[in-house]
Amino acid sequence: MQRTIGKKKNGFAHEMKRNYPYYLMMLPAAAVLFLFSYLPMPGIIIAFQDFNFVDKFRSPFVGLNNFKFFFTSPYAFRTTFNTIFINLNYLVWTTFFAVLIAILLNELRLKFASKIYQNLMFLPYFISAVVVGKLVNQIVFPDQNGIANQILGFFGHDPISWSENPAPWAWIIIGAHLWQVVGYSTIVYLASITGIDDHLFEAAALDGANRWQQIRLVMLPMLMPAIIIMTLLSIGGMLRGDFATIYSIIGDNGLLFQNTDVIDTYVFRAIKQAADFGTTAAVGLYQSIVGFLLVYGSNWLVRKYDKDSALF
Amino acid sequence: MRRLSFSGYIAQLLMQLFLLFFAIACIYPFILAFMASISSEKSILDNGYQLIPSEFSMLAYQAVFKSKYLYTSFGVSILVTVVGTLLSLIICGMAGYAMSIKRVKYRNAVSMFFYIPMVFGAGLLPWYLVITQILHLQNTIWALILPGLVSPFNVFLMRNYFATVPSELIESAEMDGAGVMRTFFGIIIPLSKPIIATITLFIGLAYWNDWASALWFIDNPNLYPLQYMLYRIQAIINLVRQTGAMGDMKVPPETFQIATMFITIGPIILLYPFIQRYFVKGIMIGAVKG
Repeated sequence: MQRTIGKKKNGFAHEMKRNYPYYLMMLPAAAVLFLFSYLPMPGIIIAFQDFNFVDKFRSPFVGLNNFKFFFTSPYAFRTTFNTIFINLNYLVWTTFFAVLIAILLNELRLKFASKIYQNLMFLPYFISAVVVGKLVNQIVFPDQNGIANQILGFFGHDPISWSENPAPWAWIIIGAHLWQVVGYSTIVYLASITGIDDHLFEAAALDGANRWQQIRLVMLPMLMPAIIIMTLLSIGGMLRGDFATIYSIIGDNGLLFQNTDVIDTYVFRAIKQAADFGTTAAVGLYQSIVGFLLVYGSNWLVRKYDKDSALF
Repeated sequence: MRRLSFSGYIAQLLMQLFLLFFAIACIYPFILAFMASISSEKSILDNGYQLIPSEFSMLAYQAVFKSKYLYTSFGVSILVTVVGTLLSLIICGMAGYAMSIKRVKYRNAVSMFFYIPMVFGAGLLPWYLVITQILHLQNTIWALILPGLVSPFNVFLMRNYFATVPSELIESAEMDGAGVMRTFFGIIIPLSKPIIATITLFIGLAYWNDWASALWFIDNPNLYPLQYMLYRIQAIINLVRQTGAMGDMKVPPETFQIATMFITIGPIILLYPFIQRYFVKGIMIGAVKG
């Protein structure tokens, strides 16, 4: 009795004494996380300052002017629209093709062919964004000699000067992303399909369901939790463009910005060209808050309808 | 196995065709690029990229292997990948393990500390300023290693895996006098090979393919990783294309650029057949919840 009271009195000190090796083990990772994720957080105040490198974080405050400046500029709508447009297409088409291909791979009778296809489809996932950019710019869509113009030529179409033609580039970016990640997502869904209990299919077959009905009524509903988790994980980044891929494909080619400039590429240029730090910080805060609300909101919705599929 | 009906055969055939088409689309650019890298500059300029080039030449590779920047960049990439992966594995693994021990009282609070940065970030500018103005990491090798060192997602993945190790095993090891560290490195790690292999590959790949850190923080050509060097070559060419200004700048020939690209993905392609199955295993561990 005496001892338990003592424990309660200095619970923290006692716990530290008892389990200090474990807390020491957490320390390095926590310290790195603190430096690179928590230390920048107070930097959010820059969004409300007229930042300069002399006063640094003691720069004069300007209230909401930075937000006003960004949201009244033509860039606010354009970059937000492009970011959401590109990300939504990433999400919808990746899910669609990955689920479709996972089902097809599972239905395939020749198992060795299924293995070979998986290996080939997975390969692009291992390639860096720079290489993807290079393949897109130099092999598929250069102004002369590329695959795209060769195909157009095959159908009797004149070659297109891709680098001066902004219209198709949002779709080129989306296509490049799909090319890179569909194989990976396919394996995630294939793993979920393999995890489905065979008895469910057998029971459905006994009830007279044909293969197509089994897929539609048994397999797809069983895949829903995996689809929801993958979607939730990507929704938080809805306002965060796929910077590495987009920047390595478009770079600084201003002719193509109209359809491809996303918030992250805009912020990167603003920082590197030392334009307006207050505004970029405001944009960063806007991204984070909307991202946070999206994660929370969508998770709340999922929780309401299907508690087990929610992320937290 | 059920026998296929006629329509079943047709369905199988259509599925094969669709999958084959997609699989080929995934590797065709690589094959084409590889053929371009071993063909002569003239055959590309005259005929475009061809599956079987009209004229072969190894000049591009000879030129690439002569440039001293290649060796420097290769060294930087290998150093960053090896050091970064090892450090990351050790510190994330230790954190994950400590969080998996049930008698550690504040483990949920610590989990929360790791979880918050996954949903909420300060944005790129404060992050950039902390690294350059407070930690002064720009133009050091640490700028390429430290920012990517801790991924909360990997920590949680390992925590979940370590949590499946029976606690009796840990208790009996400690009863026999092994310290916490000894238990972790001597018993837990050898028992957790699948997750360790997977995480190693994920982190290693991320470090090897990283170029954005160099884009943000590195101006010194002696610290360019391989991917960033490749990016620089591409950026110069784009600039020349847009402005049309050649000046004194010599544009590297197409075959040279493509050969460089192949050298950056070479190690991955060579290792791919061996590591591919670990990745698949790892994705399964991560994907199938519980």
